[in-house]
Amino acid sequence: MAHIPDGVVSVPVLVAGAALSVGGMALGLRRLTPERLPKAAMLSALFFVASLVHFPVGVSSVHLLMGGLAGILLGWAAFPAIAVGLVLQAALFGFGGVVVLGVNLANIALPATLAGLLGRRLLARPAVAGAVAAMGAVAGTAVMVALSLALSGREFLVAGQALAVTYIPLMAVEAVATAAMIGLLAKVKPESLELRP
Amino acid sequence: MIRLLAVLALLLVAQPAQAHKLKLFVTQEGAEISGKAYFAGGGAAIGIEGQVLDSQGQTIARLQTDAEGRFRYTPPSDAPVRIQFESGDGHMAEAAIGQISRPPSPSVASDVDLETAIARQLTPLKEQLDRMESRARLSDIVGGIGLIIGLFGAYAWVVSRRGKTS
Repeated sequence: MAHIPDGVVSVPVLVAGAALSVGGMALGLRRLTPERLPKAAMLSALFFVASLVHFPVGVSSVHLLMGGLAGILLGWAAFPAIAVGLVLQAALFGFGGVVVLGVNLANIALPATLAGLLGRRLLARPAVAGAVAAMGAVAGTAVMVALSLALSGREFLVAGQALAVTYIPLMAVEAVATAAMIGLLAKVKPESLELRP
Repeated sequence: MIRLLAVLALLLVAQPAQAHKLKLFVTQEGAEISGKAYFAGGGAAIGIEGQVLDSQGQTIARLQTDAEGRFRYTPPSDAPVRIQFESGDGHMAEAAIGQISRPPSPSVASDVDLETAIARQLTPLKEQLDRMESRARLSDIVGGIGLIIGLFGAYAWVVSRRGKTS
């Protein structure tokens, strides 16, 4: 799952995740201009509560991530927004460990940012842009979680299969939700998308 | 956005908030350890593999949950053990069992029977308590959102002061 608990991943993966996260945070904080702060806070809160919306998939259940939405609206500034949400989820809900925060942040925020930046190029058609960002973010997170587990000595295919089963329905749900939200924002509040003329 | 958050808030109030996390519940009845693995707020963790570790971290036995997510194990010695379960997708749960108390002698067998019976009666209650503890509470959610507002507000304040001095 996206929130890896303590004690599962190995030390090199922890260090790599932490390094990626520090880099992403440095880039993100520079892009976090005062005008973007309210938007970042809103998306941070959305990310924080979205993890409580569950739906059952097979024997397990999966929760929303909403990384794609943060990525498309904030770009690199999604990093600090997701970081705040993740820290609070770990502290208040016990989602994911404390030592692995760097790995979890990299696994969620990096694909979210990259997919969001890709989505921003397609903003001429907002719904398509939203769907691409959401699906890219979820798929990227699934691959990165499977990689983190594989590099820690877990079976890549076992983890990959378990993740694919739960993440493909999640991709569909998030794509529809994000497409609807970006579509709505483009209509009623286009300045929130920061379209350059 | 505000409308969206309001809808989300309603969703949270309508259904009990759940946490997606592998949980392990372990009890001891006499010399036997029994337990259940489940996803917090969700169903039982069926057919996942676990292991029993001794105090040095060596694996001494392997376990697998049944169709209800339950497992049973009788340790060979009285030494404390740790039980660890892991699902394929990166969830892990661990429980420690201290010194295992065995019936000291046959003469107090009736006492032991009573204890075993009480332990069996208490098990569902303990399981329920364990489940309740793992639920995300509304106060946590509201507190978290408040913290986010405060944090970003404080950052905005710092940034605005920096803008004025330069």
